[in-house]
Amino acid sequence: MGIKDRLKTGIQKNLNLRYIKRLLGIIALKPVLYAYGKTFPSASDKYLNIFTIESLKKAYSDNNRPIGYGSLFIPHELFHALGITPFLPEVMAGFTAGLGLAPQTLKEASSHWYSQDLCTFHRSASGAAELDLFPRPDYIITSNLACDAAQKSFYIHSVKHNIEKNFYLIDVPYRYSEESIRYLAAQIKNICTDICSKTGKKPDISMFEETFELSNELRKWAIEVGSLRKNLADYPSHFNGLNFILPFHGLAGTREAVILYKEIYRDLKKYSDKQCKEISEKNKPAKRILWLHLKPYYRNEIFDILYRENCRVVFEEINHVYWQELDYKKPFESLARKMLSNFLGGSIDNRIGVILKAAHDYKADGAILFSHWGCRQSNGGARIIKDSLKKINIPTLVLDGDCVDQNNSSQGQVKTRLQGFIEILNS
Amino acid sequence: MTQDIRDTDNFDKTRKKINDIKFFFGNTLTSENKKAAIGWFCTYTPEELIIAGGFVPVRIFGRKKIIKSESYFPINFCPYIKSGWESLLADADNLKAIIFTNSCDGMRRFFDIASKYLDGIPSYLLDVPHLKNRDSRDFFTGNMDDMKKFIEKLKGEKINEEEIENAVKLINKKRKLLKEFSNIFYKSPDLIEIPAYYKVMELSMISDPEIFLDDLEKYLGFIGSIDKTSTKNGISLQPDQRNSPSIMIIGNFIAEDKLWEMLSKMNLKLASEDLCTSNRYFVKQVVTGDNKDLMESIAERYLNKPQCMRMADPGSKLAEIENVIIKNHIKGVIFITLKFCDNMLYSFPLLKQRLNNMGIPVLYLDIEYNNFSEGQIKTRVQAFLEML
Repeated sequence: MGIKDRLKTGIQKNLNLRYIKRLLGIIALKPVLYAYGKTFPSASDKYLNIFTIESLKKAYSDNNRPIGYGSLFIPHELFHALGITPFLPEVMAGFTAGLGLAPQTLKEASSHWYSQDLCTFHRSASGAAELDLFPRPDYIITSNLACDAAQKSFYIHSVKHNIEKNFYLIDVPYRYSEESIRYLAAQIKNICTDICSKTGKKPDISMFEETFELSNELRKWAIEVGSLRKNLADYPSHFNGLNFILPFHGLAGTREAVILYKEIYRDLKKYSDKQCKEISEKNKPAKRILWLHLKPYYRNEIFDILYRENCRVVFEEINHVYWQELDYKKPFESLARKMLSNFLGGSIDNRIGVILKAAHDYKADGAILFSHWGCRQSNGGARIIKDSLKKINIPTLVLDGDCVDQNNSSQGQVKTRLQGFIEILNS
Repeated sequence: MTQDIRDTDNFDKTRKKINDIKFFFGNTLTSENKKAAIGWFCTYTPEELIIAGGFVPVRIFGRKKIIKSESYFPINFCPYIKSGWESLLADADNLKAIIFTNSCDGMRRFFDIASKYLDGIPSYLLDVPHLKNRDSRDFFTGNMDDMKKFIEKLKGEKINEEEIENAVKLINKKRKLLKEFSNIFYKSPDLIEIPAYYKVMELSMISDPEIFLDDLEKYLGFIGSIDKTSTKNGISLQPDQRNSPSIMIIGNFIAEDKLWEMLSKMNLKLASEDLCTSNRYFVKQVVTGDNKDLMESIAERYLNKPQCMRMADPGSKLAEIENVIIKNHIKGVIFITLKFCDNMLYSFPLLKQRLNNMGIPVLYLDIEYNNFSEGQIKTRVQAFLEML
């Protein structure tokens, strides 16, 4: 049994906060962590795992207070600038799936009256919170951007920990306009001022300088990665662009995220250079897939099947860099603009624009929309997305499934539909 | 006891008459709209602006069976939206335009679908903030101004201040009379039956307000006349004395005739409600005067009316419910939601916890729309009532 399986089994058998803290205490020790990092096939995977563990260690350690729960689409630069350690329950729900804990967390959520019709990212995170597997938050910042569930489930976390006064909802307007920016920037400023008054920190725009510089650096490297991928004909089998959600969002504004994206770039560049030498030997170019929405985070065959069948995911919409550079001299306005630029907010046209451009830039042969159970904002747009791609002759597979709950997804059916789609691409 | 002294025959006759909504609201039901109609869905839509533009605001109830709609939306999607879309696919030609709100993820996608696939009918989405403070009121005022421009385009000319003022007066009057009606309903559940009550509510949202108000005034006048002659007829509008538990219904867009029929035959007293199809629609007036900006006053009313679970502050919503329960001596709550409504579903864990602390039992029901499975729901409600 390898180290990863041992970790998984250990946590499955000892599902409690004390064990998680103990485990993180051991694995986050530098020699152990780097030995663990070496078990990954690429530098980017290595750093992804190292930085994830380090960030969890920080969040679970009582020495790094205050801790802030943040939903995925808030600008996490806010936490970093304020010296708050972020913790992302939705990302943790992905880990519950990967570690095989979701059956327990989902069961716990059901026993607390979370309906099975709700998104399993939020349900599993709520179940984990009810099982007291998460560190206690000092602050919670969430938004209504793209997701009704976040604002509600995060409020429940605040009640559980009796910190309703430290719960902040960022109300993101529907349209991108100067009025919207003003309304949003004022909210972010108020949150910042309120937290500063509670932490004793002096509200000062200089605290955003370093964070924004690092965030801009991440942005630059993420764009570089995206540009490189436009012409990448093949990929290393272990690469999966859907694994970088935590650094892309939660670590935006940190040195770690910059290092990681540089490593992703180097890994792919190395592969690309090698590919240039070998490409002439290949007879059949791979089919290029544009991936929409997320993926199952438990063990599944989808990406193995695609790889075997000579299909490569050439871009994932979630990796689209949608925001402009941040300006620390106008911190609140910058963060407001970042939120309002998110293509998952507002009209579906924002998302369609990104998808069609990506389909063109990445020369997609087909698109797969993973239709995660309970995600109304994404699935509700499936018909329009499919029709829009059809107009430019790109077939779309809407693959029904669940990112977190393995039992809510029929592997056999997924396999059959995937194979049928691949046949269409090859015909 | 009041009931004992009643002349049963006379009482039954009067009750039958009062519940004959077709009779009292004949004009509302039969009048053909002379003005063009604008469709709306959510109670955060300021009807005042539609009326000021010279149009009739008609809420889309989506009574059509879901067939074509299935190919536009996923299986686990709000059934009201699907039914609404089915209705638009069939009858949208009757509308001049449709106004959506960004109430929830589902509604946003509904607006997208309507904008893409409904040819020739203009759609507009009103951005309603989730917060209730001065900044959000100002922001909402600006958004309503944008909606006004959309209506002005349909009208072909500007809407003036006087037109808005008149519309505010009209809708305020409707709210006032609906409130009076609901108070009578809560006080005298043996007189006004649940289906009749909700039928009037529905008519209030889908009819020309002037014609409806005319009928409603006459209807309330008739009910009032019974009150005045109560000793003669043995009928009174005094608090109901039956030994039925006082129930509160909390839900979203619940407009299920079969449910109302079913509840009306059960031993319960509907003493309060928190629904998109009743109090969230009519409670709270637009307060004008004191040199207040009219649009700002309208915005204030909508942001501070009994809130939908979509708003940012579940804590104040729970407090609002708690107060209603105490004030109305509620003995049990029926929480009824259309399936796949995230805002409602997420409100339940906290509500359940709060009600447990108060010692108030709650029954959780989730239902489809236009596809009510009576047998199963009936058994569960009966068991709940027996427990009370």
